[in-house]
Amino acid sequence: MVPIEYYMVLSAAVFCIGVFGILTRRNALMFLMSVELMLNAANINLVAFSFQNGNLTGQVFSLFTMALAAAEVAVGIGIILVLYRNFDDVDVTKATTMRW
Amino acid sequence: MAGAFDFAPAIALLPFGSFLVALFLGQYMPKRGALAGIIATVGSLLLSAWVALTVAGGETYNEPVYTFVAMGENPIQFGLLLDQLSALMLVIVSLIAVLVHVFSLGYMNDEGETGLPRYYGELGLFTASMLAFVMSSNLLMAFMFFELVGLCSYLLIGFWFRRDGPPSAAKKAFLVTRFGDYFFLIGVVAVFATFGTAQFAGEESFPHLAELALSGEGQVTTMFGLGAEAWFTVVGLLILGGVMGKSAQFPFHTWLPDAMEGPTPVSALIHAATMVAAGVYLVARIYGFYALLPTALAVIALVGGFTALFAATMGVVKREIKQVLAYSTISQYGYIMLALGGGGYVAGVFHLTTHAVFKALLFLGAGSVIIAMHHNENMWDMGGLKDKMPVTYYAFLSGSLALAGIVPFSGFWSKDEVLYETLVHGIGTDGGLGVVLLLAYAMGLIAVFFTGFYTFRMVLLTFHGKPRSDTARNPHGVHWNVKGPLAVLGVLAATVGAINLVPVHALVGSVPEFLHDWLYYGPEMLNGHHYHELITAGEFGGMSAGELPGLGETGTLFASAGISLTVALAGSALAIALYRGDSPVEHTDRLGSAKTVLFNNYYQDEYQVWLAQGLTMNVARAADKFDQGVVDGVVNGVSSVSLFGGSRVRRIQTGIVSNYATLLTLGLVALLVGIGLMGGWF
Amino acid sequence: MLQTLQISGTAALAPTLVLGVTALLLLLIDSIDPEESSSALLSGVATLGSLVALAAAGAILVATGGEPQSLFQGQLVVDGMSLFFTFIFTSVTTLVTLASYDYLKEFRYKAEFYTLVMLAATGMTLMASSNSMATAFVSLELASLPSYALVAFLKNNRGSVEAGLKYFLIGALSSAVFVYGISLVYGVTGSLQFDAIASELGNTGEGLVGVLGVGILMIIGGFAFKTASVPFHWWAPEAYEGAPAPVSAFLSSASKAAGFVIAFRVFTVAFPQSTVGVDWVLAFQVLALVTMTLGNFAAATQENVKRMMAYSSIGHAGYVLIALGALTGSANQAFVLGAGMIHLVVYGFMNTGAFLFIALAEYWGVGRTFEDYNGLAKQAPVACVAMTVFLFSLAGLPIGGGFLSKFFLIAAAVEAATIGTYVLAFALVINSALSLFYYSRVVKAMWIEDPVGDFEVGGYPTGLYAAIIVAAVATFLLLPALGLFTNVAVDAAASMIQ
Repeated sequence: MVPIEYYMVLSAAVFCIGVFGILTRRNALMFLMSVELMLNAANINLVAFSFQNGNLTGQVFSLFTMALAAAEVAVGIGIILVLYRNFDDVDVTKATTMRW
Repeated sequence: MAGAFDFAPAIALLPFGSFLVALFLGQYMPKRGALAGIIATVGSLLLSAWVALTVAGGETYNEPVYTFVAMGENPIQFGLLLDQLSALMLVIVSLIAVLVHVFSLGYMNDEGETGLPRYYGELGLFTASMLAFVMSSNLLMAFMFFELVGLCSYLLIGFWFRRDGPPSAAKKAFLVTRFGDYFFLIGVVAVFATFGTAQFAGEESFPHLAELALSGEGQVTTMFGLGAEAWFTVVGLLILGGVMGKSAQFPFHTWLPDAMEGPTPVSALIHAATMVAAGVYLVARIYGFYALLPTALAVIALVGGFTALFAATMGVVKREIKQVLAYSTISQYGYIMLALGGGGYVAGVFHLTTHAVFKALLFLGAGSVIIAMHHNENMWDMGGLKDKMPVTYYAFLSGSLALAGIVPFSGFWSKDEVLYETLVHGIGTDGGLGVVLLLAYAMGLIAVFFTGFYTFRMVLLTFHGKPRSDTARNPHGVHWNVKGPLAVLGVLAATVGAINLVPVHALVGSVPEFLHDWLYYGPEMLNGHHYHELITAGEFGGMSAGELPGLGETGTLFASAGISLTVALAGSALAIALYRGDSPVEHTDRLGSAKTVLFNNYYQDEYQVWLAQGLTMNVARAADKFDQGVVDGVVNGVSSVSLFGGSRVRRIQTGIVSNYATLLTLGLVALLVGIGLMGGWF
Repeated sequence: MLQTLQISGTAALAPTLVLGVTALLLLLIDSIDPEESSSALLSGVATLGSLVALAAAGAILVATGGEPQSLFQGQLVVDGMSLFFTFIFTSVTTLVTLASYDYLKEFRYKAEFYTLVMLAATGMTLMASSNSMATAFVSLELASLPSYALVAFLKNNRGSVEAGLKYFLIGALSSAVFVYGISLVYGVTGSLQFDAIASELGNTGEGLVGVLGVGILMIIGGFAFKTASVPFHWWAPEAYEGAPAPVSAFLSSASKAAGFVIAFRVFTVAFPQSTVGVDWVLAFQVLALVTMTLGNFAAATQENVKRMMAYSSIGHAGYVLIALGALTGSANQAFVLGAGMIHLVVYGFMNTGAFLFIALAEYWGVGRTFEDYNGLAKQAPVACVAMTVFLFSLAGLPIGGGFLSKFFLIAAAVEAATIGTYVLAFALVINSALSLFYYSRVVKAMWIEDPVGDFEVGGYPTGLYAAIIVAAVATFLLLPALGLFTNVAVDAAASMIQ
């Protein structure tokens, strides 16, 4: 059996890759994908812990997470669409009419 | 049968009603809401008098009216506390309010001001809040009305909001007093946390619980590991923060001279009976608490004495008549604080009473002069108004003699008692408190000199000599509605001292000390007798009355009166010497005039002129500079530092969402590392 | 003893169900004739729906006396706390839908707007009832997703779109952090249900406290996003400024309260300070201090009224965080939580009212800066009186309930009697003093300054006015009537804690 620590290291790595993507990518779609990575890191944890703890709660919850991630992307894509219409770009750093 | 106490809530509700009526219906009323205000305040005055008579019959009242939050054992309530002190104050406040309303007819209506419904509405709310504050039965309720009083004064000072000065003056008044009030708020919370109640009176009142705790009979929760007395002193000083803000004590006095931007009747109300009086009234209200704390008393006395002197010296150099009065108010409230700090509870209340009368008189008199001068307030443009407006002149003179403390006008009796009480307690008390009281006494005594000086400088410049401008030659007439209140107050200012003729009582025992008796026999634990016991008790204040060597008690009394009268006369005489004649000269050109003075009265005046030239003026200028530069500077500095901080802080919000994500991540990591290190996770 | 009525099963969820059904009903009405959507009908149905939900919450609270009702095997719980907050959400929703009647008149897609508001409100009431991490997360997303769309509702307005984008991106990031935190806590305790987590906490191994701590702090992050607290507040100034003003009102009042109710429940039920071994109280103390200071300092120098209100809303989040930061062992926990709840009730009315006044100004086409508000009182004295009440109450003057609720917060912090809570009480006082400065700038502009140009207000919109006046009256009445709420709040907090 694979020790639980391996899963945690994997999920932490995926999570950090997601954070790295958010911090460095300016494309809104890449931003979304990075968020997906972070959510999936959580899913890895949930499934692994579920296996470890011997109950199914975590696995079920990871299904919820996936569904919600999909919903989030749907709303997100909509916002990115209007962003493109208004700013002619999907660069998240271009929309800076409000600050300070 | 329903007694006076059942109608007591109406004392505050009537002016509140006039606020609503004037605000919403004032446009449609003949005098734009003035009549509603006058009727309401007259009603309050009558009810207050009824309450006072009932109290005089030996009844007092301390009952909750409305329970806000019935949480556990310490409900938060609105209640009425009607005893000797609050009944006296109710009469003063409602009397001044009536007169100010009447006077406003002349000052505002006849001058064709606009926005009168707003004016009378705010005046009504102002009066209502003050009356409710006076009747409050607990500290939290007092705080809430204290705040409302501040809010109303903000609105009224800024009444002429189209001009440049008033809005900023209003803002300054509001913010400076609010700054003090925030300390007060912490104090209120601390009182709740410590005693579990904020009641003023009764077995479960916080002064009583504090007394029990200090004499070792009760238990309270103290904070920061302080002992009971040290913690109570902290609480007392926190509450004192609010008092010093409202009563314009150093260093929170800066708002008051600026507040002169408001209409003059409002200044009269603010200075004589409401806003500024609220602060010292609060100290008198919870005197049973302060009387336990010698350190707090010393601070009160010292602040009072210093403020009295400091403000009086600044009054000497002002050019506008209302500015002189403003500094004189600060200085006189310094005396009241001095009296309270020096163990003279009755003396403080006495001076509060007489000051309310004569300062209202002086402001209304100044208002009358200002009407006559077409709203020019510069005294150097006045002169010679004595013959043109005799009623104003004689009333103003009566107020001035009272302010300067010349026998037998009311101010003499009260100021003398303030100084006497401080002196004897200073002599008789051992240790640091005695020294502090003597020092405060000395400052108070020196201030008497300056008070006499600026008072008569003001009178002479305004009314005597030859007119120095065209308006002064042809002043605008004033009506009965101006003269009436002046006449009433003029008579009162001369005679109100009769309520407490202490020196006369000492000589002729049959002359009663009304006020002394009135305040000494209040409800249990709320009377002057109890306060006196607390102050003199060894385990609390430890004060005791001493006497000047070789004079005995009566001798000390007369010596003190003689000293202060002499000093007041000296100050007045110096002013008369310098500013008499047809054409007094400004202090900047004084050298010429001083030479003439020197020539005429060489031997006598040499010392005085040195005092005026070399010392007084420099001290006064330095004080003024200190006020304008350092104190204002600190106030402005604090606000500009906050604003600068604010403009830096907002720059973090760069508008770029990637930066937000970065900062968010960094913030989370910082939190993780910080909490993790403290929790030993790593 | 009063005999408490048994309202069991899904009946206890009536407010949530009513809100959800109203959302569907609105879509149904719209589908009948999408081109000719009647503003009055849609707004009326939405307002009615939230009023019914409000009444239902009140009725259930009276009938059950706040007795906890466990639903769906403990996934949801309906108790005093959840009903109390449902009251806040539905009140705010009512005000917002009422005000939107005028605000949305010129827009298309009205039905979608009201539906989204209703769905978000449904999510918030579910958040208040959540009793497990799973329902907490799902309901949090149910509240968030419609909010993103609402902020970006003005599709052709760059500000609105930019606001929506920022809100969404920070929101997505925060919810990812939140879920990751949940997964770590699940790993340590093997359960998602709050009470089960609490009972498992005692059995955790020594080495796992770090994992648990990281999880808890990440969960705090998710709540900090919802409540607009540092360091997850970045979206708030822009989202509130750019969004349509009724949406700003909705988000800054109801959404913030929703974040707090779930935080209150999680941290008292799932992670009680006595057993958890992670010092989250300290974390909240730091967050409260930084949040209120940053919010108020940044608000002090704004030129734009709406943005000032946005920062002030961050500042108020900091004040309410005191309720969590003062949950020390020595504190009277029910009173501390109760103080936070009370502040949220009052805040719900006064802050919604202030944003609705801004909505009114936007409706009239008044500009957004302080100068643009100059002399507004001459044109619209009633609305300006209401706004003055809101602002002074926000600053903590005794003209509205804001005074007493701040007083309770200070009292709670002082009573907790640790150095940290003293600092918080002191910071609250200092920040309130500063806040008076910038609130009074608006008052000064409205009442004291002269109008810059000739400006006539374009009519007096009924819905907006009604909502503003109701909010003002409620704010004012909450000063004397706060006692009613205090008892309910403290009882609700007490029954949740044990």
